[in-house]
Formats: sequence, structure tokens, C-alpha cells
Amino acid sequence: MNRRSFVRRRPFSTLWLILLIALLGWIWQERVALWAFPDIISAYTAKEYCSCRYVMNNDAGYCRGYVKQWLPFSAFTDDPVSKQVMVSGIGRSNTAMWIGERQGCRLTP
Amino acid sequence: MFKGFSLLFMLLLSLTAHAENWPAEQWSTGPTLSGPAIQALETYAFPPRDESTRKGIRTDALLVIRDGQLIYERYAGPTTADTPHLTWSISKSLMAAVLGVAYGEGLFKLQDPVLKFYPPLQTHPAITMADLLHWASGLDWQEDYEYAPLNSSVVAMLYTRGHHDMAAFTSDHAEYAQPGQAFRYSSGDSNLLAAALKNIVGPARYPDFPWTALFEPLGIRHAVWETDATGTFVASSYAYLTARDLARVGLLMARDGRWGDRQLLPKDWVAFNRQPFDRYRANQDEAVPGGHWWLNRAADSAAQPWPDAPADTFAALGHWGQAMYVIPSEHLVIVRYGDDRDGSYRHNELLKHARMAFTGKVQP
Repeated sequence: MNRRSFVRRRPFSTLWLILLIALLGWIWQERVALWAFPDIISAYTAKEYCSCRYVMNNDAGYCRGYVKQWLPFSAFTDDPVSKQVMVSGIGRSNTAMWIGERQGCRLTP
Repeated sequence: MFKGFSLLFMLLLSLTAHAENWPAEQWSTGPTLSGPAIQALETYAFPPRDESTRKGIRTDALLVIRDGQLIYERYAGPTTADTPHLTWSISKSLMAAVLGVAYGEGLFKLQDPVLKFYPPLQTHPAITMADLLHWASGLDWQEDYEYAPLNSSVVAMLYTRGHHDMAAFTSDHAEYAQPGQAFRYSSGDSNLLAAALKNIVGPARYPDFPWTALFEPLGIRHAVWETDATGTFVASSYAYLTARDLARVGLLMARDGRWGDRQLLPKDWVAFNRQPFDRYRANQDEAVPGGHWWLNRAADSAAQPWPDAPADTFAALGHWGQAMYVIPSEHLVIVRYGDDRDGSYRHNELLKHARMAFTGKVQP
């Protein structure tokens, strides 16, 4: 009886509450994917730039354009001596490194 | 002296008997072609390139082998004859060829459970090697990424949760169907094959196996194949070859797995690669899956995916327009590398123009 009257008195609050619970439920269900999601842009950029530059031997300018996505990254370093590429974006950083003639590049660690 | 001459004579005789071209250190070249059909092909494949919008057809390399000779080659963008170009999912078909050598050594059978070679697959003991080669593991894999990046299995595998150990990441997926019963294209299935290969050939041979088994016998000198952190080859995505080198694999396939006098891949292996998977349903994908290759076959009441090419055409296909087409009946191998960022490139159009230019034929 009490609950019915709360729903009647506060129909919009009830609706928001249900939506909030549904949202929290979805977040909980997708927590692993959501936590990993921000890594995509920096990991993708670091890995594919490394391979573009040090496996396919394209020039740096071309490779910067090659890995460009709709989301920008905040930091980018390419060390040509160690052939190591570090990229940051959306609060995450990832590094890819050239391993050897046959193995090409790989995300580290 | 006389003996030497007769030997030479016999040798010359046998050479003319097998008038078959094979590449040595380089491809031998055929006559240079020109004319309106070549122009039409180039108009299609090499329109002006826009590096800022990245729209439209953006061919990096186009190379054609006919009867074992290089008859056409053109590069664009940053790619040259010496560029080991990323092949993306063409890697899957290359892994099939590598596995074919191990199969020829009698190291596994198609109906072997994958578990036999890859123990972490305990939760899915019924999956066989043939199921993985058909992309029919039954694992609930999401290959889409452009539209559902959050739940894309392939993005998570390559860049986030899965990149340390891609086969283990794949094994952790639930089953949505019985193994072998339904086709669902999966990069995870291909990487399970790469992980199984480790115990098929043994960990000592494994790191060099693609080179010793396939690349070196074919004279491929500059192949790169990236691995995950456990040393498993990223069979789904990360093999790099020059267009000229990839075409060697195409010639091997066009000639039923034979390279010169050596049957490198057993004939029944290549036949399996080219046999349509009977559980494939019309329009599930852009071509009909065989054993880790794509076929231009009518299937499940649907017409051939590429109507302007012969029915024996088969291909290795990859993201952003990578393709190698093999047409045994017309002795053609066509390698096309690209950087297509939209879906405007059409396999059938390229095949139609290429056949006009190099065989003078319109209809299959």
C-alpha cells in the first residue's frame, strides 16, 4: 500500500530510480569491458604506429596519419633508437615495442 | 663428354616437357601489357588519393601473376615492391597453409579435438581442428567493431584484455552453438589454431615454423609475423609480406599445393581449403568459407558472391581491402593491398576489370 502510494505520489522519481538501477546493473554487468575500453585508443595507436613505422618501414609522417582516429590522443612519443612507441589518451597509456626482424612489434608489457 | 651432352639433352627435354614457370629469387616477367582494359582497371583501382578524408578506393599495391610470371605490378601511397605490407586477415589463410605443412607431416588430423594440442580449451572439449578452420567453433565471439566497440571480441583481443594471450582470451568465451554446427567468422578461432600449432610441431620448432615450413621453401625472404606475449602467432591479423612474396603463396595454392617438384601441401589439404563449409548460410559473409579460405561458390541457394569471376576463384581476404585472389582455371593470382577506410571497394569489380585486362574474358 505504502509502495503503491509512493509510486503514485512520485511517478517521475520512481521512473528515474528504475532507470538508475537498470544503468547500475548494466555497468556492473559490463564492468570488465567498460574498464578496458579507455585503453583501446592508446593501445591501437601505439601498436599500429609501431608496425607501420618499423615493420612496414613507412615514414613517420605517413604513419601518424595512418593511425589517426576520431578520438584524439594526448601524448605521443616515438623513440627511434629503442623503437618504442608510447601513446596516452583518455587517461590511459600504452607502449608498443619493436622486437625483431621476424616478430615485428608488440604491446608491452 | 658424350655422357655429359646426353644428360644436358635429357635435361632440356624435361624442361620443355614441363614448360611451367616458377619464380626463382625474383619473378620472371611476362610481356608488358597496355590498352583500354588496363586503363579501365587502373581507373577503378587507382583513383586520385585523398589523404585527408581517406575516402574511396585506396589501392596500395596491385600485382598480377599469370602462368607463374609477373605480368602487372603497380604501387601507390607509401607502398613499394619492398614494403612488407600488413595483410590483416589474409594471415588466417597463411596460417592454414602453415598448418597444411604440419598436416602433411602427419602431425594432426582434421577431426582431432583441439584440446589434444591446446589443454586450456578444457571447457570446450568437442571443438575439432576442422571446426576452427571453418570458423565454426560455436564460441560466442563478436567480430564487429565499428558498430559495437564495447563488446567487440576482436578489439579486446588485439588491444586490451586479450592481447597478452589471445588463445586463452578466446577460450574464455561461452558457447552459443554446438561446435561444427554454425558458421560465425571469428579471429579467435584463427588464434586458437595458432596456439594448437605450438604443440602440434613442438615448442622448439614453433617460433621458426612459418619460415621453415612455408616461407623459405617458397623463396619468401622478408616475412614478418607478430606474436602475442606468449609467443603465439597472431594468426588472425599480423602477418606482413611484400605483394610479390604473397603472390608466391597464391601460386602454391593455384597449383594444388605443389612448388616445383615438391608437394609442399598435401592435395587433400588444399581440397579441404577449397571445399565450402556446408553449414554456411547464404549472405552470412561476403564470400563462402572453406577451410580458412574464401570461395566464390554458390551456396545455400545464394548465387556466387563474385558473379564476374569463375566459380573456382578463391581468396584470402583482410580488413581495409587486403585481398589475394587465385583463379586456377585462368592461371591467375592477383594480390591487392589497400588502405580502404570505407566500404566502397568491391571484389567483384576488381575481378571483372582484371579478367578483362589479363584474360580478355567478360563472363566466366
